[in-house]
Amino acid sequence: MSDAFVQTTQLTKRYGSRTAVNQINLELNKQDIYGFLGPNGAGKTTTIRMLLGLIRPTSGSIRMFGKSFPKSRMDVLKKVGSLVESPSYYGHLNACENLETIRRIIDVPAARIDEVLSIVGLTKDAKRVVKGYSLGMRQRLGIAAALLGSPELLILDEPTNGLDPAGILEMRELIKSLPDQYGITVLVSSHLLSEIEQMANRVGIIQHGSILFQDSLEMLQRQAKHHIRLAVSDPRQAAHTISTWGIHAAQHEDLLTISYVPNEQVALIVQQLVQNGHSIYRIVDQRQSLEEIFLSLTGKERS
Amino acid sequence: MLLKALSADWLKLRRTWIGWLVLLGPIGVIGLQSVNYGLRYHYLMKKYEADLWGNLILNVQYLAAPAMLLGITLLASLISGIEHREQSWKQVLALPISRLTVFTSKFTMIQFLLFVACTLLSGGTLLLGGVLGFGMDIPWGMLLLKCYFPWLAAMPIIALQSWLSITNRNQAVPITIGILVSIVSMYAAQMPDWMPLKWPLLVNESHIPIYSVITGLSTGLVIYSLSLVHFARKDVD
Repeated sequence: MSDAFVQTTQLTKRYGSRTAVNQINLELNKQDIYGFLGPNGAGKTTTIRMLLGLIRPTSGSIRMFGKSFPKSRMDVLKKVGSLVESPSYYGHLNACENLETIRRIIDVPAARIDEVLSIVGLTKDAKRVVKGYSLGMRQRLGIAAALLGSPELLILDEPTNGLDPAGILEMRELIKSLPDQYGITVLVSSHLLSEIEQMANRVGIIQHGSILFQDSLEMLQRQAKHHIRLAVSDPRQAAHTISTWGIHAAQHEDLLTISYVPNEQVALIVQQLVQNGHSIYRIVDQRQSLEEIFLSLTGKERS
Repeated sequence: MLLKALSADWLKLRRTWIGWLVLLGPIGVIGLQSVNYGLRYHYLMKKYEADLWGNLILNVQYLAAPAMLLGITLLASLISGIEHREQSWKQVLALPISRLTVFTSKFTMIQFLLFVACTLLSGGTLLLGGVLGFGMDIPWGMLLLKCYFPWLAAMPIIALQSWLSITNRNQAVPITIGILVSIVSMYAAQMPDWMPLKWPLLVNESHIPIYSVITGLSTGLVIYSLSLVHFARKDVD
């Protein structure tokens, strides 16, 4: 437990009587891409702000890199890069100057500015005033700023918000490359499951300030219910035939749906149906999508 | 650490109006006084015959006091506006630097710019007196006192405006208060001695200007310390 890279224990933030974040226990391992997932207003940003020391937890504790936070605030923040919600920048300065304002405080070599600009692909526009940048470029500048201090942990809050499809793809590729290329651990929040699914190896789902699920992406996918669908010439008769082997088949129009069975059994069913004179048009393996899992997880909260 | 923060804040002033503002304040005051002296040259020369330099300094001071209060408001607002505009506070405060340093750096920057403005004002006064042919008998002590003491005595207002501007995203609040303060300060000479607005005028019952400076500096220090505590504990949205 205690050797987790980042760990929160019963972390809680209350605003008056409203509980924004309720006793959450996050756990990130080194070189994870941790997808922090939840609808808007679920408490993602509040949690992230607490991880960065921007707001104070009402109760609970945070440990990062084996140090307690915010007690060892300076030591911890040296190793953290962040991009919280909309990117922060100075519109009247160019990209180099923007990064320089940070570099002067964190004290890294000047050459690092060119390095991070090339990582995010802004080298060409580095001398332009940021006011004239597109949203995607500003977002990339925000990532560059987060990477400037060669952090061990990168915290990105909704990094693809407002980007066009090409920008989203670019951002995703960049984030995916970070653990392998630079050994960085990433915490990335999003309200879109499809996005997290394509980057993360671990997932935490938050709703109304509480964590509903936290495990590997694989485990989340395994929770998806498997179904096998059969399109046959005479569904009613086929359903009857199948039920004689003790397998329940639900009939929707001309489709039969049976719950997941191993391959051998599927083969057997097909063989028997064919021998009984049924024509089989299609066999479809259907899995509940992650969106549906997500909805069923978050829906439970509501009722 | 403070020097690092200051050098970062200094860089952020590039391509802003802040430098011009520091220049324009003193130029405006000296400009108005040159119009005053230009239009009524013979009358004023006769009236102030006994102490030409002293009266020029008093005249400059008369205009400079409300201008300085307005300048404090604008400087504090523009300097914190750099961070407010694109919500950069969250980026700055997530850096490995203490909040006390961040706040003190902004506060120091405002002080430094006011110091520059005061210096320009005394330079401008000298220049105007020279052009008007007041001679070399310059009352240096009085000149420096009248140029720098009001700044020091205005410390409570500087601390208040810095705190309001830095902690409010909406700059309407500090600017409204600042403008009101500047207007009210024009009647400050008739106010009781405990009124902070009166201190920059260096007028008090004992007729010892340094008293106004000491009260101003110590009250300013108290307000500054309180705002530091507030800023250090504040949630950043």
